[in-house]
Amino acid sequence: MSKNKHNKKIKLKFGDVVFNIINYSVFAAFTLVCIFPFYYLFINTISDNELVRKGLINFVPKGIHFENYIRLLQVNDLFGSFAVTLARTVLGTFLMVLASAFVGYLVTQQEMWGRSFWYRFLVITMYFNAGIIPWYLNMAMLGLTNTFWAYIIPGIVAPYNIILVKTYIESAIPSELEESAALDGASHMKIFMSIILPLSKPILATITIFGAVGHWNSFQDSLILMQSAPKLYTLQHRLYIYLNTTSNLAALMSAGSTSGISKSVMDSALNGKVIKYTIAMVTIIPILLVYPFMQRYFEKGIMIGAVKG
Amino acid sequence: MSKEKLAKYVYYPFRAISVLLLVVLFFPALNVARISGLINRSISLLTTGFSYGNLISNFGRAFKKGWVMESTLRLLNVSSLIICLGIIACAVGACLSLGNRKCKFLGNLTNVVGSLVSTFAMAGVWSAYQQMAATTKPSKIEPMFPGFFFVMLGMLVLMVLISVFEIYLVGKPAKDEKFEMETKFRLFLMFLPFILLTFVFSYLPLWGWRYAFFDYKAGDTLSMENFVGFKWFQQLIRNRSTTKDILNVMKNTLAMSGLGIATSWVPMAFAIFLSEIKNDRFRRVVQTFTTIPNFISWVLVFAIAFCIFSTDGFISSFMMNLGIWTEGKNFLMDGSHTWIKMLLWGLWKGLGWSAIIYIAGIAGIDQQLYEAAIVDGAGRFQKMWHVTVPGLMPTFYVLLLMAVAGILSNGMDQYLVFENSSNTAQIMVLDLYVYKMGIVKGAIPLSTVVGMLKSVISVTLLYGANTISKVIRGETIV
Repeated sequence: MSKNKHNKKIKLKFGDVVFNIINYSVFAAFTLVCIFPFYYLFINTISDNELVRKGLINFVPKGIHFENYIRLLQVNDLFGSFAVTLARTVLGTFLMVLASAFVGYLVTQQEMWGRSFWYRFLVITMYFNAGIIPWYLNMAMLGLTNTFWAYIIPGIVAPYNIILVKTYIESAIPSELEESAALDGASHMKIFMSIILPLSKPILATITIFGAVGHWNSFQDSLILMQSAPKLYTLQHRLYIYLNTTSNLAALMSAGSTSGISKSVMDSALNGKVIKYTIAMVTIIPILLVYPFMQRYFEKGIMIGAVKG
Repeated sequence: MSKEKLAKYVYYPFRAISVLLLVVLFFPALNVARISGLINRSISLLTTGFSYGNLISNFGRAFKKGWVMESTLRLLNVSSLIICLGIIACAVGACLSLGNRKCKFLGNLTNVVGSLVSTFAMAGVWSAYQQMAATTKPSKIEPMFPGFFFVMLGMLVLMVLISVFEIYLVGKPAKDEKFEMETKFRLFLMFLPFILLTFVFSYLPLWGWRYAFFDYKAGDTLSMENFVGFKWFQQLIRNRSTTKDILNVMKNTLAMSGLGIATSWVPMAFAIFLSEIKNDRFRRVVQTFTTIPNFISWVLVFAIAFCIFSTDGFISSFMMNLGIWTEGKNFLMDGSHTWIKMLLWGLWKGLGWSAIIYIAGIAGIDQQLYEAAIVDGAGRFQKMWHVTVPGLMPTFYVLLLMAVAGILSNGMDQYLVFENSSNTAQIMVLDLYVYKMGIVKGAIPLSTVVGMLKSVISVTLLYGANTISKVIRGETIV
């Protein structure tokens, strides 16, 4: 292998060199464009607030401190939104994965009464929807608007993930395993728990990650369904509101803050821009934290997804 | 006819009625417990039973003035709850009827109990109505008798009769018999809850399409009085300002989808050129970092845009620090080139991610093809064009056809977060327009019409794309 590389190096022609320079530069530039904003956002949340306000922090953080992150605790309603988002991410993802695994397994069972019909009944919902207004009216009719359950229950059945699990079970788990277990008298439930669940871990990890990111990023359902329940706004919705608030920090912070810091001190120490940046950063950080784990799985996920169900 | 066969047939109407009644529980229009105008129009029998708070939300004054006894509403609440539970019990019984004699027997008992209890609870609703009608202030309380009451009562009585008859037909199981059910039905029953969820959240919204034919404002009821037929459909064409809006929205939608489709080769090019990079670590880094933006929401993309492009964002402060500009510019409030900007944000967010499928595709191309090409004297670009691109074409076709089918669905998050007073005319795409008109402005019928047409056209396009694919490639895409 290394010998091969060596040979190539000798044969490099002028045209190849030019090509490589351009190619590497273009990719380097695009990568920079993708990553620099995150870096810029971050250094502006940890640098001296006065310098940030003057716009002097461009590439290098100065006067590093983490008080902005601590002061976020005083921002109105932010903590509640964080808790709601975390709760829906954990509970919603858990139920979705469990349901996808179970249904994905069930639809591989040829004996089921009306299997192909019910499977199509499920899958076809990926390709049409009634529209956002009928969806909203339906949720209102079911009494789910302004309740936490509106975040959880509609997401339990996820047809695309069901297809992923089904495809995985069919391709990666030998049917002999199931058959021999069935011969030994294992029930479907038992087979699901002791064979299917453990063996389909890789695909379940994939859909867990996608599901969790989806819940964490969810914005539209909060915007439309929680109109009279601001306590249930998701973090993204909250951030959207803050970003569109033109007033300064004072408007964002709880007026009757008992922390002992007077308002004028807080105003000078922080400004609206920094607080917005910091909230954005707090919303991004969890994603960046799980990202390394995600990377292992998402390529697998996208490839299985490419094989149609 | 043997008893067993008869039993089998008699079960069919029973199951049908229990499914119907189960559905009825969800429909506010069919709420038999709505015996007063003060009870919220939009609550279903299920809500009446399970949420006392919702039921009495408008009765504060009526209780205080003594127009209605609180016990009346308690009675109504409990009766509704019992009706619901009875109907649920019947549904369980209907499921059990798929099993062997022992299952059926248990199911029949459940059915008898469930349907009897529900029928008696209907008397509770009746009596609550009598108390309601006896109020001193009928003008405030607006007692009303739901016409559906007798239909429902009839259904319940029929269920009682059938289940008693079934007990006679099926008979008692033998003492040593065990609960058993054929595998096919057992599997089906395990699947059933998920079918119901799908029905409730994906099919039931279609019922909302009826709003397109009524004159409706939030809180109204639908009745034949406000039925307007195709008025809203006609308004799309006849009302000048609506037509103008729609045309503008369609222009934006098609332009932005069109730009997306016109650049749909970019991820493929990205993948091809990335695979030309021989340094593994560099390639890995590029792939890792260019994929990150795909995983943040559009709100966060906007936060990023805000920190880079706003008046005191990176670009402005950088240019001011260099002394080139004297004051910051807010690019986000600039209404020019909106379509291109949205395209670029889309590429920034999605390029690295969309390339993955092509990168995997390249890895799957037969290496012998490249070797053969080299023997034929092909250079770098010739190999790309004659080997790699044809190898990726099938994937490209599928994605392209899907993009064409989704031409009306740009989603609304991106456009909602970037929208402001200076770019609103260029950024208003169909999904955003429907949201603004329906949810923000409350023009529910008209926005339902638009959404409905969009859904129908989208499904037609998808069907068309699928057919084209079937004809050309002999393979369907969905």
